[in-house]
Amino acid sequence: MGEAAIKIENDRKSIFFDKVKELLPKANLSLCLTCGACASGCPATGLENMDPRKFLRMAVLGLDDEITEHPWVWMCSMCFRCTYACPMEINIAGLIYEARKLWPREKRPKGILGSCDMALKNMSCSAMGTPEEDFRFVVQDVLAEVRENQPGWENLEAPIDKKGAHFFLSQNSREPVTEPEEMVPLWKILHLVGADWTYSCTGWGGENYCMFLADDEDWKRITEMSIKSAMNLDCKVYLNTECGHSTYSVWMGQQRHKIETEIEIAPMVKYYAKWIREGKLKVSSDWNKDLKVKFTVQDPCNQIRKSFGDALADDLRFITTACVGEENFTDTYPNKSNNYCCGGGGGYLQSGYKDARLQYGLLKHNQIMATDASYVITPCHNCHAQIEELGQHHGKGKYRAVHLWTIIALSLGILAENERAYLGPDLIDVNLPKTE
Amino acid sequence: MANASENKTIGSVMVVGAGVAGIQASLDMANAGYYVHLVDNSPSIGGLMAQLDKTFPTNDCAMCVISPFLVEVGRHLNINIISNSELETLEGEAGAFRATLRNNPRYIDAEKCTACGQCRDVCPVTAVNEFDCNLDLRKATYIKYPQAVPLAYKIDRNTCIGCGMCEKVCLAQAIFYDDKVRQTTIEVGAVVLAMGNDVFNPSAFDTYNYANHPNVVTSLEFERILSASGPYKGHLMRPYDRQIPEKIAWMQCVGSRDINRADNSYCSSVCYMYSIKQTLIAKEHAEMPLDTAVFYMDMRTYGKEFDKYYMRAQDGGVRFIRSRVHTIEPAGDGDLKIRYVRESGELEEETFNMVVLAVGLTPSKDAEALAKRIGIDLNAHRYAKTNDLSPVSTSRKGVYVCGTFQGPKDIPQSVMEASAAAAQATQNLSEARWTLTRTKELPPEKDFSGQEPRIGVFVCNCGINIGGVADVPAVREYARTLPNVIHVEDNLFTCSQDTQENIKKVIVEKGINRVVVASCSPRTHEPLFQETIRETGLNRYLFEMANIRDQNTWVHMHNPERATAKAKDLVRMAVAKAAYVEPLQQVILEVKPAVLVVGGGVAGMEAALGVARQGYQAYLVERSNLLGGVAHQLRLTWQGEAVAPYLKELIENVQNHERIQVFLETEVTHTTGTIGNFITTIVSKNGSQKTAVLEHGAAILATGGKEYKPTEYLYGKHPNVLTHFDLDQAITEESGTLKNAKMAVFIQCVGSRTAERPYCSRVCCTHSLKSALTLKKMNPEMKIFIVYRDIRSYGFREDLYKEAREKGVQFVRYDPENPPNLTSDEQNNLSLTVKDHILQRPLEIKPDIVILAAAILANENKKFFEIFKVPTNSDGFLVEAHAKLRPVDFGSEGLFLAGLAHYPKSLDESIAQARAAVSRTMNIVSKKGILVGGVVAAVNSDRCAACLTCVRTCPYHIPRIGEEGYAIIEPAECHGCGICVSECPGKAISLQHFTDEQINAKTDALFSAA
Repeated sequence: MGEAAIKIENDRKSIFFDKVKELLPKANLSLCLTCGACASGCPATGLENMDPRKFLRMAVLGLDDEITEHPWVWMCSMCFRCTYACPMEINIAGLIYEARKLWPREKRPKGILGSCDMALKNMSCSAMGTPEEDFRFVVQDVLAEVRENQPGWENLEAPIDKKGAHFFLSQNSREPVTEPEEMVPLWKILHLVGADWTYSCTGWGGENYCMFLADDEDWKRITEMSIKSAMNLDCKVYLNTECGHSTYSVWMGQQRHKIETEIEIAPMVKYYAKWIREGKLKVSSDWNKDLKVKFTVQDPCNQIRKSFGDALADDLRFITTACVGEENFTDTYPNKSNNYCCGGGGGYLQSGYKDARLQYGLLKHNQIMATDASYVITPCHNCHAQIEELGQHHGKGKYRAVHLWTIIALSLGILAENERAYLGPDLIDVNLPKTE
Repeated sequence: MANASENKTIGSVMVVGAGVAGIQASLDMANAGYYVHLVDNSPSIGGLMAQLDKTFPTNDCAMCVISPFLVEVGRHLNINIISNSELETLEGEAGAFRATLRNNPRYIDAEKCTACGQCRDVCPVTAVNEFDCNLDLRKATYIKYPQAVPLAYKIDRNTCIGCGMCEKVCLAQAIFYDDKVRQTTIEVGAVVLAMGNDVFNPSAFDTYNYANHPNVVTSLEFERILSASGPYKGHLMRPYDRQIPEKIAWMQCVGSRDINRADNSYCSSVCYMYSIKQTLIAKEHAEMPLDTAVFYMDMRTYGKEFDKYYMRAQDGGVRFIRSRVHTIEPAGDGDLKIRYVRESGELEEETFNMVVLAVGLTPSKDAEALAKRIGIDLNAHRYAKTNDLSPVSTSRKGVYVCGTFQGPKDIPQSVMEASAAAAQATQNLSEARWTLTRTKELPPEKDFSGQEPRIGVFVCNCGINIGGVADVPAVREYARTLPNVIHVEDNLFTCSQDTQENIKKVIVEKGINRVVVASCSPRTHEPLFQETIRETGLNRYLFEMANIRDQNTWVHMHNPERATAKAKDLVRMAVAKAAYVEPLQQVILEVKPAVLVVGGGVAGMEAALGVARQGYQAYLVERSNLLGGVAHQLRLTWQGEAVAPYLKELIENVQNHERIQVFLETEVTHTTGTIGNFITTIVSKNGSQKTAVLEHGAAILATGGKEYKPTEYLYGKHPNVLTHFDLDQAITEESGTLKNAKMAVFIQCVGSRTAERPYCSRVCCTHSLKSALTLKKMNPEMKIFIVYRDIRSYGFREDLYKEAREKGVQFVRYDPENPPNLTSDEQNNLSLTVKDHILQRPLEIKPDIVILAAAILANENKKFFEIFKVPTNSDGFLVEAHAKLRPVDFGSEGLFLAGLAHYPKSLDESIAQARAAVSRTMNIVSKKGILVGGVVAAVNSDRCAACLTCVRTCPYHIPRIGEEGYAIIEPAECHGCGICVSECPGKAISLQHFTDEQINAKTDALFSAA
């Protein structure tokens, strides 16, 4: 196939390319200089013998037959790193998004498709299909257990549908469904800072696989449902849990699908940093002074490069160093807005292309190995899952992925024994809450 | 001085910006009869070029080639350098402007300062050295660089602590702490803007890590690193650890052709060439083999001899990698890792010791603000807006522009435009020519023939620069003992104004007939002392200098005794030579106030018209029966201005001008004479064989070029295969073939960049882009491919490339080893196959029309060029005197060139060069007479064997074998370089003022130490 001649006929039209150009007039797709900056910076270069420059070139030359149902569109995580350095600022991810639509909906990767459809099953917007009442039950059950078993947390709250709360908090389904105790550190943090927050029974699901499925209509439906839920409760801030793609799906979905709202759409990391600066979260790195456990961070593409930029990346480092100590933090390079995508985004984890995903993640793995860190702080569920897997697969357990809430709670001395699923033996009993 | 309110034309001009363009414009106008105010916001002139190490494609040392120009400006009687100043307002109109200047304080009186450097030595403050791109330190009291003009220090009051040390040590009493901002007003007839550009700051490219990593440097920083006068004294080192790099990468297009990180969508035009130069120079500097890799998008070596330079680099092992790099990663130990993808798609990873970012040119913020203040329109890229057909005129009448303030360009183009701007600025001022210039009245020279030498020796202390090291009184007393010396003295500063007066007095009183000054460098000071002795009636060559500062006390400052001994040696040598120096006569030759222009194309016509409008006679000789040349076949300039109406008007203006005589169907058959006085015979070729003899002071050769008639790609065999000229004609005629075409292919580099013609024709990429856009406009549905090797849309022409891509024109790159294949079947259907450079698969295109971007060739004029003895290069193009700084001059004085005969160029560039040639001729024909002779070669006809050695070795092609059978070297043309003298096997040639007798006297004196 590599040598097949490309015939350009007089009447031949690049239907797909022309359509995308019309859809995305600001994507600059025609401006390509074929310089290769995109391909040289893309972790998916070489997978399926494809790279962003080739893909765009094929579209430009009208090779619609060849790019239709091309598996590479699921191996690109739409991380925007190509666009970041492209001299013509060409929106390759936008092109890939449209190319995903060239797959009949039912033929798109089962995992992504299933998660999108699940979220549409009920009002929860949960990609795991968790019904509203199940969510309420789990939250209340876990809360009751903490109040009962953890001294000092008798007044902990996890409000649901609290009208007029300042923050509307989204919740990734993974916790309530598979590891409910992982919800608790965040509740504790919110409690300590005195945040006025609430979950909602509807629209709480902090995922959006419809976005990955390139299903605009359903992306919009889910985002709209979630934002509306927040608006119905008169909340001021839509606070995204530590999840990159859901933050982006709401932040971008609101703009892209023109959802009218006054509500501020904010990433969790920004507020963590704010509360530490304001002295509301008195984190300390003393616990790690002698231990010297090494940490690094992962900048989720969806929250940093694609939306909130280096300012949020700086916040992430501020929080991390405050919690683990400056001397125990090593940054990766490239980082911040120029960070390599780990390969967890874009629906990769559910796309079924596991070998490609692990191959893609090699760059990230090598970056992490170079830092010699034992833990990678990942304020994003997809990064978390992918990096945890990279650590097992390529790193033979050399490093693990942890949420920011885990480390903040650890450094505050409020992380209970059963909230340490992602900590290794070195940290399993460090800085445990005082029991009296 | 004239009063602006009377609307009288003022015979002075103002040049704003004293880089290489401003300097050239100033010299041209000052030498053509106008008083020039040269304003610059820096403490010294020289601009960006002074910061460069070497220049492409000749690898000349930048400072060495610009320095004589700096000196000439500095001592020019009719150039007033106003340094450290800014133009605030410009009132009035063309012919009579009133300019208000803001003179920023220097805190040191430039008139009094002798640049001895004492103030710098005692200054306790260290500050960042901006001239060395912050790679080095300087004092708060500083001079930008040793060759600076004006050669005077400045106090940087932002870092100065006001300790007063400099004031205490300054023997010239030049320190002026209370200096304040002043405002001055000057009245001028015209203004030339040459404010130059800034250099792009790549900090915004976070992926390139410039802001954080010391071993990622800009190309300008690398120039300073390479420079012998730079922070590392020319030793190739990297900033991080001063290690010698073994592997360096260059990143092209940083801050150019980028709408993401930089707001500069244009091409900066110069970066490819300077990067190639840097690879070559770095390799020369490296003691070990140096690996150099250039990462690029399109190799834009579009200028004269540029492609050969590129090939030379390739042959020299420089790696050129067509790939733009995403990220430069620190790799530990100061090294840098680069992951890149080849055009074929393979990923590579390499580690380099150092990375150079080829940063682009960016509009100068100061210049932008100035333009707004004085009402000059800027273009979309924030450079001065100009039209192609009036390339150096701004939006304000009487205000002209040149150099990189008009757009990114290289030095020759800047210099060319500078001369063009000078011609345009003075065109309407000719009635005021020579009204405000100053001349020096000199007494007649005294005749000393037959007299014994009576030598006066003046030894300079140079503050304490000399006297603080060597024992100056001892040197002075030693000089007294030397033969023929009748007077000795020492001075605090021999160059100061009062000492000059004293020297004159002593010469007259004591009847001195030879003068020796022992002080600093003749490079800067010899002309001053020569001037002084000439004022007493001594011939200026009865002078000799001993450099006992730069070559003695500065280098032996820790060894005063030996420095004193060496000073004595140097003085003894100078005195020995002085005994033998002879007065040299410079004669004034009368100038014929007319210019011969050969070639009746646009360049020739513009030249003739320019000369006529300056008030002088022009003879325009054209061998065909039609004026206009190849411009008849052009539709639009690259910016879209219609050529035909312009050409019509130009021809009418030329034909109707009273001071232009046009000779059609006429050729030159013979020429004789030298600068100022040529006699040329022309013969009419229309059957009449009518002969005419023209007398002229200068000549401009604009013999043009033509389009290559391809033998490739079915040209001439298939009716729908066209050249650019054919296409322009078809568009003008609204040809049906074009209208019905559904698909068109342009093939670039047809006949250019081949083994036979290894040069780039410069204009074809732009022409194809422009034509593709025209076709798209005619029929937006037409599919258009441009099959190219490198797209060379330099400068703002990049806009066309961008627009063409936007409009859907598709670009396919090919390698010369694998060119596109065009065939035609029985039904005459065309088919083109070319490998797609990205997908690496063949593309089969069925075009209705194919346009060949055919090369531009110089017209064949071998015989004619021989008549004028002007050289051509291997490609048939005329060779200018110096590729960088004399782009319109020939080596032979009085002859100039313009247009396609010099090199392929666009219409705007041809017009600019023609006007530049006009300006250069004004330096000759505007003068009544020309002083010739002096330090020139003289032939002893008895010893000459007519062996042709001098003819072959002279870089200026001056010597010839005369009718009497021996070599003739015209004193008016000789440059005095001395090469023929050293090569002549019969010792038949001697260089005046450097005769064997004089040199032997010097060396004998050296070895006869007392």
